[in-house]
Amino acid sequence: MEIIALVFAPFAGGLLGYAAGAYRENWRKALAVLVCAAEMALSLLVAANGGRVSVPAVFAGGLMFTTDGFRAAYAVITAFMWLMASVFSLDYFKEERRNLNRYCLFWLMTLGATEGVMLSGDLMTAFVFFEILSFTSFTWVIHEETAAAREAGYTYLFIAVGGGLVLFMGLALLYQSAGTLVFSELPAAVTAASEEKGRLLAAGICILFGFGAKAGMFPLHIWLPKAHPAAPSPASALLSGVLTKVGIYGILMTTLYAMAGQAFYGRLVLALGLVTMLLGAVLALFSVNLKRTLACSSMSQIGFILTGIAMAALLRDAGEAEGYSVALSGTVLHMASHSAIKLVLFTAAGVFVMSGHTLSLTGLKGKGRGNVLLMGAFLIGALGISGVPFFSGYISKTLLHEGILEGIHALGHLAGGLRAAEWVFLFSGGLTAAYMLKIFICLFVERAEEDGKEEKREDRPKAVRLKTASALVLSLSAVPVVLLGQPVFARALGFYMTGEEGILAFRAFSLENLKGSFISLGIGAVIYFAFVRRFLIRDGKYVDLWPKALDMEALIYRPLFTRLLPGGAHLLLAPFGENRVLAAAGRKALLLLHIAAKAMADGTDALLLLLRRTIFRQKTGGAKEKRPAGIWQVVRRGTDDALKPLMETFSFAMLMTCLGMLAILGSLVILSAGR
Amino acid sequence: MGALFLVLPVGLPLAGGFLSFFLRFRDERSRFAYMEAVTVATSVCVLIALLFVGPGKADLFSFTYGYSLSFGLDGMSRLFSGLIAALWPFALLYAYGYMAEEKHRARFFAFYVMTYGVALGVAFAADMITLYVFFEMLSLVTIPLVTHYGDHDSMYAGRKYAAYTIGGASLAFFAVIVATVYGQNGQFIYGGSLNGTGPKGLLEAAFVLGFFGFAAKAAIFPLFDWLPTASAAPTPVTALLHAVAVVNTGVFAVGRLTFYVFGPELLEGRGVTAFCRVMVLFSLIFGAVMAIRERHLKRRLAYSTMSNLSYMLFGILLLTPEGLSAGLSHMVFHSLTKMVLFLCAGAFMHQTGRSYVYELGGVGRYMKVTAACFTAAALSLMGMPLSAGFISKWALIRSALEKGGAYALAGVACLIAASFLCAAYTLSISIRAYFPAEGKALLNQEKAPAEAGMAMRLPILVFTGAVLFFGLWPGALMGFLNSLSGGI
Repeated sequence: MEIIALVFAPFAGGLLGYAAGAYRENWRKALAVLVCAAEMALSLLVAANGGRVSVPAVFAGGLMFTTDGFRAAYAVITAFMWLMASVFSLDYFKEERRNLNRYCLFWLMTLGATEGVMLSGDLMTAFVFFEILSFTSFTWVIHEETAAAREAGYTYLFIAVGGGLVLFMGLALLYQSAGTLVFSELPAAVTAASEEKGRLLAAGICILFGFGAKAGMFPLHIWLPKAHPAAPSPASALLSGVLTKVGIYGILMTTLYAMAGQAFYGRLVLALGLVTMLLGAVLALFSVNLKRTLACSSMSQIGFILTGIAMAALLRDAGEAEGYSVALSGTVLHMASHSAIKLVLFTAAGVFVMSGHTLSLTGLKGKGRGNVLLMGAFLIGALGISGVPFFSGYISKTLLHEGILEGIHALGHLAGGLRAAEWVFLFSGGLTAAYMLKIFICLFVERAEEDGKEEKREDRPKAVRLKTASALVLSLSAVPVVLLGQPVFARALGFYMTGEEGILAFRAFSLENLKGSFISLGIGAVIYFAFVRRFLIRDGKYVDLWPKALDMEALIYRPLFTRLLPGGAHLLLAPFGENRVLAAAGRKALLLLHIAAKAMADGTDALLLLLRRTIFRQKTGGAKEKRPAGIWQVVRRGTDDALKPLMETFSFAMLMTCLGMLAILGSLVILSAGR
Repeated sequence: MGALFLVLPVGLPLAGGFLSFFLRFRDERSRFAYMEAVTVATSVCVLIALLFVGPGKADLFSFTYGYSLSFGLDGMSRLFSGLIAALWPFALLYAYGYMAEEKHRARFFAFYVMTYGVALGVAFAADMITLYVFFEMLSLVTIPLVTHYGDHDSMYAGRKYAAYTIGGASLAFFAVIVATVYGQNGQFIYGGSLNGTGPKGLLEAAFVLGFFGFAAKAAIFPLFDWLPTASAAPTPVTALLHAVAVVNTGVFAVGRLTFYVFGPELLEGRGVTAFCRVMVLFSLIFGAVMAIRERHLKRRLAYSTMSNLSYMLFGILLLTPEGLSAGLSHMVFHSLTKMVLFLCAGAFMHQTGRSYVYELGGVGRYMKVTAACFTAAALSLMGMPLSAGFISKWALIRSALEKGGAYALAGVACLIAASFLCAAYTLSISIRAYFPAEGKALLNQEKAPAEAGMAMRLPILVFTGAVLFFGLWPGALMGFLNSLSGGI
């Protein structure tokens, strides 16, 4: 019962808040915080009682919720994060008050949907709530309704819808092969359907694509560095801290329950995880915007988590129970610690926004000086994410590292690749330390440049001052980061979440384990002093050296799919691009095709026209009939003109992208069906 | 008794609509009350027929050679007649609100009600000849509705509509003859009344002609162009006829032709079937792409209808019972969803006087209820879970995967791709309504548009409620559809 309340109460609360906000703003505020507090209590109750609930009467196959250690822990973490962010919202929206009723409505609805995914007992339930939160969180991204927010919102929605549909296809394929989508029944069903391995793999890849889109996995990460900074800071904290984990949840569950024995799948996740990890860290290092740095950092940490999932899958298939338990514990602990860290860091970023500062690092230089609480909280977050011993990231990263080492021992055929993976891992850890050092020194150590001319006192930007609620949130949310760094607590939580006893014997501060951390931190220090201070800071200003041309959307998606896919013919003609005769022939063929299509469609029109000119002898001229481009227009102007409205929009090009990807997926399916 | 309740629903609106030309009404309200009374009475008759009339057929009168006009009630008729009986009274209410300031209302409402009877005739038809008669009548009786405004655009639309649908029906006539000659007088028998006695080439030709002839009303490529053009008609016509009644008649007739005359066994593996399948998949994608390209709100929705009708044809051409029931479930759910979309679009146009997508920036701030319903229906059309559209899309994809083979798998890919395109062409409207780009909002209008009147809002709310209801509790309806595919 409490599970049902936990999932659906926020939906009711959101509607109530929307209605209440129309009368009194204070009622809405109180209600939002109250609902989140109630969720916190309910989630603790769910964690204590456990159990499973199914609601068979509604929806296609009914909804099903279940609890285990991992789900219960994440239900609590979600509720905690929401409570903190809601309290912070009270402060954050003191000045800017537009559209807050809408914000409250979707804020709480997203909470319900997130709890729904986290407690889902089958993939279909997860999918339902996943789709809901995709759409409700879209309003967070576009909340400020500036041009940047709008663009970020569109990219976010595009990826969300595309991911959702591919996920849908994956579920259909999985259901067809396995006959069930219930997590607890899947392992047996998948084993029974082992002759359909190809189709299962296709299903797994579709599901990875869908959930990976929300997690910010490469190459679907393009929305993330745009959307997280565009949202209001409390929402950014949740987007980064919780909503990316929703995607991870889906990937983790699919990997654990449905992808046993799929070696290719494990390697694919590993490769994508490593690329995401490295690319995110590099982007974060080059970023000159505070929130963008944090967003790219989230992407990088998602890469760490994906690597952990992949190692767990590979080690399980190799029969290495111990290694599996280490990698799995590292994964879930890193999820938890990343959630906690991002709450602290984005709240701190929000404090700067509230004080009227821009987010550019140059403008923020030294703005945090003198505020001990803010600095302390930020420092804890920074140390946590860099993996410094006694802070949360250390233990989880060490476990992930150990998972890779186990893999090197156990998986002989992959040893070379995994050694490279280990160095990517350590290097990314170094980059993490470097970019955190960069923003920490910028905010709290350096002094702002004096312009020389004496500014009037009131013209200067206000010093950062903390209001009560923000101070409370900052100090409370720093607690879990420290707590998770303590081996006793981390071991207990890891055991609670995974149920694997291997974690209990883990010795956090063995020399071997400290070594990995120190290598990373050493790399970080070198990068900071040898690279960042030399190249990324010029004349006291932080410069953006990341080449504009390397933006993935501009570099790959846009040109590839605006030039190659529309019309289909261009792709075929690409190899002959140099050959003018062939290219011209292709254009002619396209023209002919277009004319043929048009002729078929306009056949009846032409007949009517003919009749009017002959039998009915209507006079020509007079009112001209308004018609879309007919055959003759096409013949006169050629296809380029006729197809132009199709080609000119970016959104259309992105759609073509998806069509292309679907074509690939479709052929995968057909190939697998043939086996 | 049984025959009476099959004839009454067909005859009542026809007679009632025809009589209204000769009756004098005190004012518009009493005319509407009369029309609504006829419509509701018809719906009640349909309900009684659905509840109490068993299977079997009733001959109305016979031609020579033993052919007759006959009505019967089987699973498909039950579904289709139930659907339109549920929609018509509400659509009439909306039309009353929408047409309040238009001319020639007497003619409009008379034909609007008469169309109801003809559509029910198609639903109840028990053999090919009866189906064909009502199919043709449906084309004729709706022409005055399309040309209602009498301006240049609508006259053009009317001509085009007539040419396409009547021309299409003339193609189908060949199939009707073949069915009556070789297939037990063209009776509908689940699994096919043709027992393969006819010459193979003739049967194949008859199927292709019949398929495209009937599917012309379902706007299959290349016979689709009338549908977007016919958006020039008043919105109640576009909504009820060109999203539901007329176009679904096309799908319904194809379903009859495929499952009840030719039969899956005869058609499976034939080259002609493959050709029809390719055209269906092509128009599925084509419609969605054209919808994105189109900027006129109603024409965009019309192209979207074209795409969605092809979903249903896709389901039917899977040639499995599951495919048929999935296609029919999409017929029901798409009807509800598209009604909401068109009715909302009509409300926008009626209240703001603007008909292009890019002119509707910020309309969600003024017409909150309508915009919210539009968004809900848009999500349903995309197939988002917890809405009706998801249920039928899931059924379609499942039945396709069950069937396997190149056509089914290509169809699944097309369905997913079309959903994606659908997101682009519907959500872009919703986003514009709520988050207008800088300087593109409706704000600088002298008078901010208000919410439409209750007569228009009530049907919108009812249908939106139905969309969400069936999304949450599809069990009963899907159970009925599955029993239907058992061959009742």
